[in-house]
Parts: sequence; structure tokens; C-alpha cells
Amino acid sequence: MSEIKIKKGLDIHIKGSAAPTVALADCDYYAVKPTDYVGLVPRLLVAEGDSVKAGTPLFEDKANPGIPFVSPIDGTVKAIVRGDKRALLAVVVSASEANNNNSSTELQYTDSDNVRHIMQQSGLWTLLRQRPFGIVPPASATSKGVFISAFDSSPLPVDMTFALTGRDKDFQTGIDVLHTLAGKVVMSLDANSQRNSFLAHVANADIHFVNGPHPAGLVGTLIAKTDPINKGETVWTVNAQDVATIGHYFSTGEYRPERCVALCGPVVNKPQYFRTLTGASISSICTKDSLAEPHSRIICGDVLSGTAVSPDGFLSAACDKISVLPEGDYYDFMGWLRPNFKKFSFSHTFLSGFFGKQLKNLQFDTGTHGSVRPLFVTGEFEKLVPLDIYPMQLIKACLVGDIELMEELGIYEVEPEDLALCEFADTSKTEIQAIVRAGLEKIRKES
Amino acid sequence: MILRDFFDKLKPNFSKGGRFEKLSSTFEAFESFAFTPNTVTGGKVGSAYRGSHIRDAVDLKRTIITVVIALLPALLFGMWNIGHQTAMSYGLDWGFWHQFWFGFLRMLPIIVVSYVVGLAIEFLFAEIRHEEVSEGFIGTGLIIAMIVPVTVPLWQLAIAVAFAVIIGKEVFGGSGYNFLNPALVARAFLFFSYPSHMSGDSVWIAQPFHFAGDAISGATPLGQLMAGQPLQASALDMFIGTIPGSTCETSVIAILLGALLLLTTGIASWRIMLSVIIGGGLMGLLFNAIGANEYMQLPFYYHYLMGGFAFGCVFMATDPVTAAQTNTGKWIYGFLIGAFAVLLRVLNPAYPEGMMLAILLMNCFAPLIDHCVVASNRNRRKKRWATAERRIA
Repeated sequence: MSEIKIKKGLDIHIKGSAAPTVALADCDYYAVKPTDYVGLVPRLLVAEGDSVKAGTPLFEDKANPGIPFVSPIDGTVKAIVRGDKRALLAVVVSASEANNNNSSTELQYTDSDNVRHIMQQSGLWTLLRQRPFGIVPPASATSKGVFISAFDSSPLPVDMTFALTGRDKDFQTGIDVLHTLAGKVVMSLDANSQRNSFLAHVANADIHFVNGPHPAGLVGTLIAKTDPINKGETVWTVNAQDVATIGHYFSTGEYRPERCVALCGPVVNKPQYFRTLTGASISSICTKDSLAEPHSRIICGDVLSGTAVSPDGFLSAACDKISVLPEGDYYDFMGWLRPNFKKFSFSHTFLSGFFGKQLKNLQFDTGTHGSVRPLFVTGEFEKLVPLDIYPMQLIKACLVGDIELMEELGIYEVEPEDLALCEFADTSKTEIQAIVRAGLEKIRKES
Repeated sequence: MILRDFFDKLKPNFSKGGRFEKLSSTFEAFESFAFTPNTVTGGKVGSAYRGSHIRDAVDLKRTIITVVIALLPALLFGMWNIGHQTAMSYGLDWGFWHQFWFGFLRMLPIIVVSYVVGLAIEFLFAEIRHEEVSEGFIGTGLIIAMIVPVTVPLWQLAIAVAFAVIIGKEVFGGSGYNFLNPALVARAFLFFSYPSHMSGDSVWIAQPFHFAGDAISGATPLGQLMAGQPLQASALDMFIGTIPGSTCETSVIAILLGALLLLTTGIASWRIMLSVIIGGGLMGLLFNAIGANEYMQLPFYYHYLMGGFAFGCVFMATDPVTAAQTNTGKWIYGFLIGAFAVLLRVLNPAYPEGMMLAILLMNCFAPLIDHCVVASNRNRRKKRWATAERRIA
């Protein structure tokens, strides 16, 4: 157990965090989306109308065959959704009546190769992400450890201890399994709220208590502060709730990707948690009636790095919350000139910047609040990134696509989400996360 | 809202396929001046955007307008001081408002020419490139007007502004891509092309209107020092700014008010400001220690009060586009500006003012400074890679 203290970063306080109550989401349709996975070229393994069970392969990656992406639930394949150029967007499964087969079989996890085999067969492998590149690890890949962030520091935080309530045994089993698989499990917890959580007493994991503003809770921060990625090395990360899913499978033989999802945001009438499975339909959690403002954006994940989904869409993989924000497509008269107490700025050019921590009623919406410009202001990003990198120079290296420069400036140590705060604060409104992703993809494709 | 309806009604004419399609950038500039645009993250409502859905309320317009507000105390003081200097030199009995009004009338054409020429070129380039008009020149144009002598011929000013915007900025891609501070490019252009109108003793005092006699000259403190004359102004005069000099850069107090705003809002880098002061001070102290002539014996803090040191330190060295970008780099960059400015003043016989050249020189070196600072980070990382490899092997 050790302490990590970070100073750089920013906590953004948005109204509407989820209250600690849980409702059961009543969901008929679930989907698995190839678009949730970086660089995935899917090969479909089912057809419309096929009946599937929880854990039945739906598709696999052409570059990584034999590792199926599986159905979260028993049912029939309702639809195969395709987009431009017939790209596979989603496989939708309609859930059938629950038929509980109580035949529970415990699986052995003493041998690393055996664990790997089981995980790859069962679909559990697709819960892992490899850094660099944020991909599902190739079948034969090795890593120097599994890193888990078990708390959320992003705006509208999820209380991970609460979300994992009742799954503590599965969580411990999952940690044990991952420890067998990779030989090392590192986990970060919130120094302020999780010292008495069951998570603090988990065995077989190096636990670090992180103190500081967002991005304290990002797994990238944990990796950078404990064991930064060198060129040629890889680490794996996994979502904390998915750890329990892995544990549950090894304890019972049942694939049950349970999820406690927070519905939160300033326009949500009743922000709270919902118990469901990954891939559940958004409408089972968030309907028109749940929102005070119909002209809103539904985001899978946090407001700094999540993905916008349509109201008839589905939960993304590894998504712990649905954040809802009002759309910001309005004109603001002389917005650049007026002193404004309602809008938040990191820059102190607005009065709110001085009282950011005290003001709880700031307005947040999806407006850009300005036009796109060349990178102009300097010194903003350095205050927001606790990693040992030069964000501005790294972003510029990504823009010019100079691989050697990107490598030496630390591209392997970041995923786009690690620079999300820079994108938020940037005066020039640059889409920094897309630039970083493009840089990573360029390296991945050329290596 | 009536104004919004007005823009909405006009907008189709300036959009693609409209009658005035070629003026779309111009329309956009006026529209976004009146209204912060209604764009949303991800491009449009309903897109499957991944990234930061919320954005900071600040934009470049806000940043630039903060700089303009910070310039106002110096501008207003400069207007008054123009009238004040004329009244003193010509023995006129003008009251405060008369002095200010006179200075205002002398400044107005300078500001108008600077803005009209510069913005016209900016708009033209934006239309040619099909880009939005950048707001950078709102700050630059005012700064140019504030650092020239009040007697500058307007045609020379117009040429200098055109040169600065085209050669100093647009050929590199526009605001944000230039490597030299455009305001200083304009001033340097004037200085080297028309030296007789930019230096000497006769350019700093404006003549009263309808005045027929010989112009009365007034030397700046730097000019007096250069000529080996004793300083006429006291340190307090120079601090307040009641001395001859460029239009609006004489008052250190007014500039400090601007600095206060820039530092509290975080627009300008405190690292650069502080290191310019340290660099200039240490160089001044070094000359004090040598003390070979009267100029070298000048108390070091006089350098802060004379000429464009304070103005350059607060408003021009801190231009983020042309300054060093890394925090360590900013310390080095600022320190060298301060040191070179004093060095040039004291040792160079040709130019009384070293600040302009010091900043332009360091503008050229800023990328190199950053390169060296970043290289240490890159080397540290490569060393870590090598250690890791050895550990595995």
C-alpha cells in the first residue's frame, strides 16, 4: 500500500451526481458494438434470428481470431445494424425469459496459460485493454501487469465502492485470476473516501491511494506514477466492475457482465444508479421522462471522454455511467465580453474561475463557447496533466505524425482520455483527444 | 432578439451558394463578434462524438479582449501625456481635459490607420484562405499604435502595419503560426526604414494644431543618456510616465495596472514577466559593478522605468505565440530578453532602445530554447527505456 499525491489537474463540479440508490433496469434489448473497440475489424459469427446464450460468440476480430465478443444475455439475435459501406455497428440481442440453470461450476485459476485459455474462450478476454493503443490484447500477448482504477474522479463521479456492493467476493476472485494471468495487479483507490472500503482490503493487488484532483482516478495516472510504460512494453487495464464479472465467471462458470450504471447530469430528474448488464439499451435507463430538458445529449461515460449515444442506442463496453448534458447550440450575445458567473472557465478570465470550487451551480452544456483557432495560448495544458510529458509538444508531434518524436515525447504513456482535460480547457477549441488517437493509430498501423 | 434575427436573415446570402459567398469570412467575423457561435462539441447535435463534451468558457476572443482591457490604462495615460508634453514644451496653459483631448485627437488617426490597414489585410487573407478571421490583430493593432512616436507619418505607419501583417504573420499561415511578434515587426520596420522619423529628439513631442513656428524638441531619457547628457527626469517622473517617449509606453504605473489584470486572469505568463525583470536587473547590476562610464553607473532599476522596458516586458515578451512555450523555456527566454535589452542599451551606440531588438532576437531563439528543454524530457525517457531493456536482458 502506498500513497500517490498529485497536484496538477482539475475537479469540475457539475450538478446532478447519482444519489446512492439503485433501481433495476427493465431491459429487453442488449447490443454488443464493434465500434466500442479500437481498431476492430469484425467478422460476424451469428445471423439474425439465431438464438444465443449469455457467452455465445457474436463476432470476432479478423486480426485476432479465436477471441470472441459474446452475448451478455440469453435470447435471440434481433438485428444486425450496419452503417456506411456495410460496416458492422451493432449486434442487437432480444432477451428471452430468464431460465435459470443453477448448475454452477467453479473453474480453476492456478495456471496462467489455463486462465488465458478460459478467458479467451469465454469472452472475458475482451474486457482487457492493452496500453499503448487501447486495444483488446492480441491472443498471445504478455504484459507487465494489470492496472485497475477503482475510483472515478471525473465530473459526476461514480462511487465505485457503492457500485460494487455485494460483489466483493467476485471482485476478489477476479483480482486473483488476473494476478495468476499477469503476475502483477496494481489498483488505485481514492485516498479520501475509500480507505475503509472493502476494496482497500483486497489481497493479491498492490494498492495505491491517490490524492488529488482529476485525473487522479484515471488508470493512466496510476500507471505513470507507479510503472510508466517504456517503448516495447505493454500493460493491461480493466474496468473495476469487469473484474467482478471475471471473478463471477471463475466462481460459477456463468458469464454475467453485471453493471451498476449511474445516470447523472444536470438535466436528469432523479440521478441514481441502475443495476443492469453491459450493452443494455439506453432507453431502459434513461427515457424522455427521466430528463428535465429534452434537447440533451446522452453520453456513455464521463463528459470529458465519453461517447455520445442516441436515446435508442446501447451502453458501451466498460461504461460505468450515463451522463446527460443539455445541448449548447444557442447564440450567446457578446459572450466573449460579458463577465459571467454562470459559465466555468479554468482560465480566470471569467469571475467563476476564481470561485470554481465554491460555485456549485455553474451551467455546463455541450457548446464550444467559441470558434476553432490554431493552438495559441501556452501554459494551460501543463497545469492539467500530472504525467511527466509535455502535452503541447506531444499534441503537435501527433499533428505532424512524426513517430519517433511522438515516442520520445511519451505517446505510449497516454490514451486520449489522459489529455481530456487539455481538450476541455483549450482556448483554441482543438479536438485534442482525436489528434492523440490518430497519432496512436498511426504508430499501431505502421508497427 | 432583433440583432439575432438580422444576422439569421442575412446568413443565407453569405453561406455556400449565396449571393455574397465570397464574403463569408467577413460575415462570420461580424456575426461571431456579436454572438458567441452556437457550435457544439462534436460538430453537430446528434453525432456519435467521442471526446470532451464540455468546453471551457474561454475562447480566443475573450483572451484578446482581456489584453485590450489591460492596455487601456496605458492608452488613456498616453493620450493625456501627449497633450501634457505638448503643453509643457510650448508653454501652453492647458487644463487636464484639454491635454487629454489633444492627445486623443493625435492618437485617434494612428489607431484608426493601424486597425484599418491591418484588419483589411486580415479580412482579405481570411477570404482567400476560406478561414475565419482571427482576432489576434485586435490586440496587435492597438499595441502598434501605442509604441510609435506621436509624430509618426501615417503613410509610414500604414506601410509598416502592412509589412508586419503580411511578412510578419500571414506568410507563415496567420495568427498563431508567426514566430516574430507582429507589433514589433511593425516598429522595427519603421525604425530601420525611416530612422529620422523614429528616433532623435524631434519626434516625441506633438506640435499643437495650427502651429507655424519651429518644432520644439524633447529628448527621451534614453536619448539623453545616449548623448551623454544628464538625465532631466527623476525616477518618479519616469515611474509615473510624465516624460517624452512613444505614445503610450511611458507610464510604468499604468502598465503595472495592465500587468495586474493579465496576471490575475492568467493570460500572460508570470514566469516571463518575472524573468525579464530579473534578467534586466542582473545585467544592470553587472554594469554597475563595472562602472566604466556614467551610463553603466546608472542605478539598475532605472532600466525598468525608461523606454519600452516595462511595456515590452508586460505586453510583448509575453505574447504566447512568439514566446517560449515550456515553463522552463519561459524562464530562460524572459531572462535573456531582460539581459539583452539592458546590454543593447548600454553598449550599443546605434540604438537607444534595446527592448524591441531583444524581444525580436529572443523570438527567433524561442523554438531553440523549447527544443533544448523538451530534449531533456526526451532523453530522460530514452534512458528509462534503456534501463528497462537492460533489466529484462
